[in-house]
Amino acid sequence: MKTVFINCSPKKNFSASSYFISLQKIFVKGEKVVEKLRNKGDYQRVLDAIKDADNVVFSLPLYIDCLPSHVLPFLKEAETMCKENGIKFNVYSIINNGFIEGCQSEPVLRILKNFSDRAGLTFCGGIGIGGGVMLNVTRIIFLVQIGLFVLNLVLNFIQNGFVFPVGLVLGFLKSAGIILFFNAGVLLFISQMGFKINKSRYFGKKYTRILIPSFIFIIFADIFFIIISVFKGGIFRGLFSKKQPDDITISKEN
Amino acid sequence: MKVIIHNLSEEYENILKEKCDYVIKADGKYSGCKGCFGCWTKHPAECYIKDSIKQVCRTIGQADELIIITENYYGTYSPEIKCILDRSIGVSTPMSTYRAKQMHHTLRYGKHNLWKNIVYGDVSKEEKETFKYLTERNAINFGYQNNDVVFISNLSEMEGNI
Repeated sequence: MKTVFINCSPKKNFSASSYFISLQKIFVKGEKVVEKLRNKGDYQRVLDAIKDADNVVFSLPLYIDCLPSHVLPFLKEAETMCKENGIKFNVYSIINNGFIEGCQSEPVLRILKNFSDRAGLTFCGGIGIGGGVMLNVTRIIFLVQIGLFVLNLVLNFIQNGFVFPVGLVLGFLKSAGIILFFNAGVLLFISQMGFKINKSRYFGKKYTRILIPSFIFIIFADIFFIIISVFKGGIFRGLFSKKQPDDITISKEN
Repeated sequence: MKVIIHNLSEEYENILKEKCDYVIKADGKYSGCKGCFGCWTKHPAECYIKDSIKQVCRTIGQADELIIITENYYGTYSPEIKCILDRSIGVSTPMSTYRAKQMHHTLRYGKHNLWKNIVYGDVSKEEKETFKYLTERNAINFGYQNNDVVFISNLSEMEGNI
């Protein structure tokens, strides 16, 4: 069984879409191929990869309640290829968004269903994930924590020799547990979808999110963007100002 | 003011110009959004990609009525139009709020009146439902108080719907 994971994020590295693919891969058996779909130059390579696939998993970010624009022409080309060559596979999806509600990804699930219907493919559902960006940040924090943990273990060994660092290990397990909790909803549905992919069965539409109360998430998100805006300078360039177009013929009063 | 975004050929340009205050032609001669958030955090309300739509969010921000004329793509916009919408998130700010009981971003240019989609091409029943739902979602997201979507089988029906 061959499963192709298509990372539809336009970002080069460390996208939330790639994070969810790496999690999904853990629960899928058989041949696994990951392809990036960042622009038109990637179309043919990805089309070649899905020609003989049994399952295709689209992992993508929500852009304006919908798919990123560069994915749409790819779907048209995939539809043509599948119809002309009688290609059939199951379509699954993981749609992450920057808001807290996973259900905000619903339009994309409907669009992928419509695509599957036109291409003669079997739409098997997907997962809408809220707080995708922040969940991706937890991955990066976790990797940093592992690095620091290993470094501290080495320093501890140099200072104290073969003494088991109980406090160090407990501290690491505690912070790892918190990150695991934030990701628990995602892990539950991704594991369930992996089970369905392995059996080539219908999964349905499921929605989850980072496990944080909404109002706390919003506070974190605002702080995150303010810090980024300070570093990138946007806060000093009219972060909230109603900027007018340089083309002065355009005005709301017209 | 009334703004129209369309992906029609040149022959419709003059008709559309008479119907509104500003026309944005979705000719596809621009890059897609890279998801960098620079139009929020680095140069607010301006995209770092220096092409014809780098300030499109400022134009859309002026719109009281936004009319989008698009070909159907599985219940959503054509890629050229979707690209313009993707590049226009500068109409909002990076700060968050609640609208329609869900999280959204605060509006840089305040509330707007009408978001209307005019859809042409082959559209299935399911795609019509998807487009209606998407239009509602877009209107909430961009702060439009009303929304509408019409499906036309022939472009000659377009003029009467603007």
